[in-house]
Amino acid sequence: MQNRGSRLTRNIKQLRRDWVLYALLLPTIAFFVIFRVLPILNMRLAFFDYSARKAWSWAGLKYFEIIFSSPLMGQIVVNTLVISCMKYILLFPFFAIFAILLSEIRVGILRKFTQVVSYLPHFLSWVVIAGIWISFLARDGAVNEIRGLFNAQAIDYMTDKGSIRWVLFFSEGWRSLGWDSIIYFTAILNISPALYEAAEIDGAGRFFIVLHIVIPALITPMVTMFILNLGFFLNAGFDQVLNFTNAAINSRIEILDTYIYSIGIGSGQYSLATAVGLLKGFIGVALVLATHFTSKRLTGTGVW
Amino acid sequence: MRKNIRPLAHKGFTGKRKRLSLGQVVLMAFMLLLSLTMIVPVLNILARSLSDPDLSPGMGGLRIIPAGFDLINFKLVFSNKYIMPTLRNSIYITVVGTALNIFLTTSAAYALIQPKLLFKKTIMTFLIIMMLFDPGIIPEYMVMGKRQLNLIGSQWSIILVYAVNVYYLIIMMRYFQEVPAELYEAARMDGAGHLTVLFRVVFPLAKAGIATITMFYAVVRWNEYFKASIYLTKASQTTLQVILRQFVVLGDTTALVGMSNMMSYNELAQIDYSALKAATIIVAIVPILILYPLVLRFYTRDVIAGSVKG
Repeated sequence: MQNRGSRLTRNIKQLRRDWVLYALLLPTIAFFVIFRVLPILNMRLAFFDYSARKAWSWAGLKYFEIIFSSPLMGQIVVNTLVISCMKYILLFPFFAIFAILLSEIRVGILRKFTQVVSYLPHFLSWVVIAGIWISFLARDGAVNEIRGLFNAQAIDYMTDKGSIRWVLFFSEGWRSLGWDSIIYFTAILNISPALYEAAEIDGAGRFFIVLHIVIPALITPMVTMFILNLGFFLNAGFDQVLNFTNAAINSRIEILDTYIYSIGIGSGQYSLATAVGLLKGFIGVALVLATHFTSKRLTGTGVW
Repeated sequence: MRKNIRPLAHKGFTGKRKRLSLGQVVLMAFMLLLSLTMIVPVLNILARSLSDPDLSPGMGGLRIIPAGFDLINFKLVFSNKYIMPTLRNSIYITVVGTALNIFLTTSAAYALIQPKLLFKKTIMTFLIIMMLFDPGIIPEYMVMGKRQLNLIGSQWSIILVYAVNVYYLIIMMRYFQEVPAELYEAARMDGAGHLTVLFRVVFPLAKAGIATITMFYAVVRWNEYFKASIYLTKASQTTLQVILRQFVVLGDTTALVGMSNMMSYNELAQIDYSALKAATIIVAIVPILILYPLVLRFYTRDVIAGSVKG
């Protein structure tokens, strides 16, 4: 008891001496309470009927029943998972491959040029990227011009149901290839020169070095990034889809987040949109926790 | 701060072979081609925007040199009654918003790296939960609404809603931790208060870090369109990206051109919409291009120089 009391007085003394520190933290904490905690409390709307003036009235699980009986929902979940798989599993290895290829370029000026050019798209907004890609994929755009050289028919990619998911795939790659490869490129730069020298003395070729020295060095960052990505698996890229979508192909790329936006902001079904968001949030948290504990068991280190 | 700069790991090889192997040539050709696919679409947009409207409709997608030269597209864009005010709004929101971001992020980061701070672990856990769990747009919209904060229709909604980014806060903490602890101690010993230490010791020594984070925040601010399109209800308040989206992505050309009374009917008829869209895109990219050299200078310098901090 006495020990606890003295700790308390010590803490109070510290608080009084370093109150400036807490004052510096206060605005940030207040921000999160107002703009994050309050919205989280508002998520109760999923169980209520919305009313602009009066108090919300209890609706029970009505909106969840609507979700589970909706024929649309299945397609949206499938779209979300397919697009996520394309980005987080299919596209994912190319960031590491790009880093390896970049590190293999022997001519410094070309390596720098590639870096400067490939990091840039990461800083453009999805609105701008969509604008550029719409022009790029148009009938008189670059892609169809190249197709024309091989006498292939022009395709309207932006309205073609078969192509649109690949448009998302490639535009995501276009935007992220350079920037997302930085972490792997750094890992390659961190490889001890002694390893290379030893391999060279043994007469190893470039291919052998990449296979036995470079790739093993990339395994750890790849596993880390993969685990981090799993937490975003239900996101699939809201900003991108919202800017690449149009009436002709929306059914192929409507994802959970765009659906929440269109039923919520678009048609004012606030409760239903919140219910979808709540389910998505819970599954997202479950995914993060699952990957955390799996990774902890397998590799000894978790997400945090 | 950078002590152990190491040469690019491959340096051991470069000096020995003067001639490039076939593999190198193929690799370089491939990477050059890949770089071109990234830069040509952007240059094509630039070329279209600068072209003569009579010639630009026939321009191919691979062309990076303007067909003829005319600034008419930019004249139209800047004389438009929507573009200039939204451009001003975007600049205002970016400047004020980024200043708020840096004010909150630096002060919170300074507090959070102090070893003596009480409840540090609790606060960090709280922040990380806030980062991972996004309540989504509708519950946030409710907070912004009349019954709670009543910020809808005010530019403060956009400025405040992005006030702190936890991810950037954590990066800022790392930059601050690079400042040697003895310097803090020494300043504190001399009787300097926390604010003095923050302004006189940390700020000058973590300049590069603060510059990096400032730029990241500014880019996010400048590129934001989604919440602006929801919370800024009046056309006079909204941002360039919102108008750009309406015009370029949603293809609403009448809103943009129909109002422009600077042009006679005859001139209007000659406008090439795709060139006009291209010019609007360029206007939205220019600030990014101004900030980009700073990214290269502060954030990716080591990566581009082929060295990392040891």
